[in-house]
Amino acid sequence: MVAHAQRTYPNECCGAMLGTIDGDTKDVSESIALENAFAGTQAERYELRPEDLLAADKAARDRGMDLIGIYHSHPDCDAYFSTTDLKNSCPWYSFVVLSIQKGGFHHANSWLPNVDQTAAEKEELVY
Amino acid sequence: MAKVLIPTPLRQFTGKQDSVTVPGGTVREVLDALTSQHPDLRKQIFTDEGKLRSFVNVYLNDEDIRYLNKDATPTAEADTLSLVPSIAGGSTVAAPPEEVTLSKDEILRYSRHLIIPEVGIDGQKKLKAAKVLLVGTGGLGAPLGLYLAAAGIGKIGLVDFDVVDFTNLQRQVIHSTKDVGRNKIDSAAEKMLAINPHLQIVKHEVALSSENALEILKDYDYVVDGTDNFPTRYLVNDACVLLGKPNVYGSIFRFEGQSTVFATEGGPCYRCLYPEPPPPGLVPSCAEGGVLGILPGTIGLIQATETVKLILGIGEPLIGRLLLYDALGMRFRELKLRKNPECPICGEHRTITKLIDYHQFCGVPQQTAQAPVEEKKVTEGEIEVTEVKEKLDRGDKFVLVDVREPHEHQICNIPAAVLIPLGQVPQRLGELDPEADIVIHCKSGMRSAKACGILKSAGFKHVRNMKGGILAWSDRVDPSVPKY
Repeated sequence: MVAHAQRTYPNECCGAMLGTIDGDTKDVSESIALENAFAGTQAERYELRPEDLLAADKAARDRGMDLIGIYHSHPDCDAYFSTTDLKNSCPWYSFVVLSIQKGGFHHANSWLPNVDQTAAEKEELVY
Repeated sequence: MAKVLIPTPLRQFTGKQDSVTVPGGTVREVLDALTSQHPDLRKQIFTDEGKLRSFVNVYLNDEDIRYLNKDATPTAEADTLSLVPSIAGGSTVAAPPEEVTLSKDEILRYSRHLIIPEVGIDGQKKLKAAKVLLVGTGGLGAPLGLYLAAAGIGKIGLVDFDVVDFTNLQRQVIHSTKDVGRNKIDSAAEKMLAINPHLQIVKHEVALSSENALEILKDYDYVVDGTDNFPTRYLVNDACVLLGKPNVYGSIFRFEGQSTVFATEGGPCYRCLYPEPPPPGLVPSCAEGGVLGILPGTIGLIQATETVKLILGIGEPLIGRLLLYDALGMRFRELKLRKNPECPICGEHRTITKLIDYHQFCGVPQQTAQAPVEEKKVTEGEIEVTEVKEKLDRGDKFVLVDVREPHEHQICNIPAAVLIPLGQVPQRLGELDPEADIVIHCKSGMRSAKACGILKSAGFKHVRNMKGGILAWSDRVDPSVPKY
């Protein structure tokens, strides 16, 4: 995920996280880089194609894994969950945000939006 | 009949099944059957009104139903339905425009910013490119103006029409003793430019109103509310919501303050927190209730910090969180703020689409930039301070009642007066003779007018209000009495 984010820097990257869920613990073991489909400048925006997400979900099922969440990067920005992130999120998945500062990985946070997309809870992230 | 694939996180609602086969001839019928079999799923997929949630896309096999026949798309037994969320996002902090450059002088000046990785040259350029409007150059505006100027904001607009007064100096540190009597906006601009000559200041020497607010605010990226009254606070909020500008809010009273960021995209606004203003007079202003002089420094600098964070796009902004500060306990607390879906200005069914009359809304008389209107003649039930003085000198038989608080009485008093604080008047009526000639005073005449009303409705016959209170007494009778 970090390599993907560094590759697309100074643009945002996005992708899917696959793994297993055991109770409250979500274990990511694989990531799938997806294309940032945002039509404008991608330095501060990303957009996932639902078809790509559908394919990622299928890939997970085929391998007996779960689609756990979505990751994206914030180039030269902290790994907060912006209002744009929140409004265009969904409560089903964890959202990992990677802060990439000057091309290098800085820190990451994981967020779980509520069902009305009015707030996102910060999840403990071990990496 | 169709098979619905259940996304992993939703399997908790389907008894761990990763797919569920349910009856139905159309997509809608299948989804209805699914959510009636597994009612907990319903809230995840549908809104309370029964519409698909905005982020839910439904795929029939590998086709988005929006491009088929939407939820009336027919389903066959071999079909598979998938629920796919639409996901997007972004940091949404614009990179600095390319034309912004930092001179050698500026690089030296901002070097302690430039060596923080989170700010750096790009961050400093964002600050320089930023346009911030400060509403008010008083208690909150003073630290805001000084620090935002020093931090390197490129353009700062100031809104104020007031004049520096001696009573401002205890907290409004942007103004000096020599500035008393001077326009606040000129005094503030001079100090800010002395700190940072690279700064561009725009002076708006007007009372912000429904007529001019949108025109003034539209040229700025961020608005910082340093006002001290409800009409302007609602006006700033509404204008920010209508224009889509973040509103960095702060308020202070005695030893307590609050701060938050309103009107960001998707975030709550001031009306989500307070749909209606408090009744007039319930919440005293600094002039009425007093304020610890240092308090606006603390709160104003929280606002300044949030403003700079928003511009730089770093950290966790104070959006959806109301920070409460208690100086006496020296504690910070935080309340979660939610966007109110029924908010009249930023909710889904907005009823306010333009600026309204905020003085009427808040039930308070209008403050204007014009000179105060000439004082009215003494009305019935009022008495001039000079006449009270004459009565005292003649030795007239009458009772002078001071309805201020004991700590105000300590600051200054008229020795002949009896002290009965306004709040105790109803209980202490027995101490006064209903037939006596009574004159009541307070600081400026407001509270004594209320006390006169209480006495009159209790049957007191000869009650008069000393016009202008002890302030007028100091002006026109005894200049040795200090004003406060």
